[in-house]
Amino acid sequence: MANTEAALKEAMTSIEGTVGVALVDYTSGMALGTAGGSKELDLTVAAAGNTDVVRAKVRTMELLGLNEDIEDILITLDSQYHLIRLLKGRGNNGLFLYLALDKGRANLAMARHQLKKIENELEV
Amino acid sequence: MKRALRTRAIRADKRAERRSPPMTLPKPPDPEVLAELGRLRARLPQLTGAVAASVDGLVLAEDAPGIEPEGVAALTAAALGVSLRLTDATGQGGFRELLVRGEDGYVATYAAGASAVLTLLAEPRINVGRLHLEARRAGARIGELMDRTNAPPQEQTTNPNPTPN
Repeated sequence: MANTEAALKEAMTSIEGTVGVALVDYTSGMALGTAGGSKELDLTVAAAGNTDVVRAKVRTMELLGLNEDIEDILITLDSQYHLIRLLKGRGNNGLFLYLALDKGRANLAMARHQLKKIENELEV
Repeated sequence: MKRALRTRAIRADKRAERRSPPMTLPKPPDPEVLAELGRLRARLPQLTGAVAASVDGLVLAEDAPGIEPEGVAALTAAALGVSLRLTDATGQGGFRELLVRGEDGYVATYAAGASAVLTLLAEPRINVGRLHLEARRAGARIGELMDRTNAPPQEQTTNPNPTPN
């Protein structure tokens, strides 16, 4: 079991091509923790903005009558992948992990796999 | 002797009265500030009201249907007084923002330059992260507008509440 800080640090170092990672509470839009990021990638802004993305998808599924959970959301940019992984179980509802990857260096399948592992070990 | 002292004191009072600036009457809302509030409400649909007020509790501009803006501005000034003392007493520097969460929503106050504050009312479901981002930006913009109108000519007033971003 890893705490928030350790899990974010692990994502930053073990997932190839990671440029920033955040654990976000989407009931408030605030980040519980961040690692990495830069002037171009303000993780506080990313946390608030992607909260709207997650909320919109949750609402859309409600409207469609899909009684399912979101595992993850992938957004592909010209030079980056943004991966949003919703946390499940153990009272972790309302949280997601946000991972920004450099497209040139990252392996998407491996990143998804590793992020899943980090989520499973994360204790908030 | 006593009387002489008293008359002197009265005269000093009168001089002080003459020197102090006249009471400012409530000004009509600044159209630029009002436009900023409108933009903020458009960006954050879950806002239920926005009031820009001077730090002493006068309404500068408001976009808050169904809410008494004068009351909000006066209460903001009172809360600001306590907040300033609290940040001061605990060594946290100048006032930046104040967030109150009620059962049915939020009340948030943001510094807007040296002489004004921005008070926002929001639904409980609002994205607080975005509320902060947008409101800090709007507060800084309103602060610029107010400091520009209040600044005496040829004298640059420094903003004691520089807002990040």
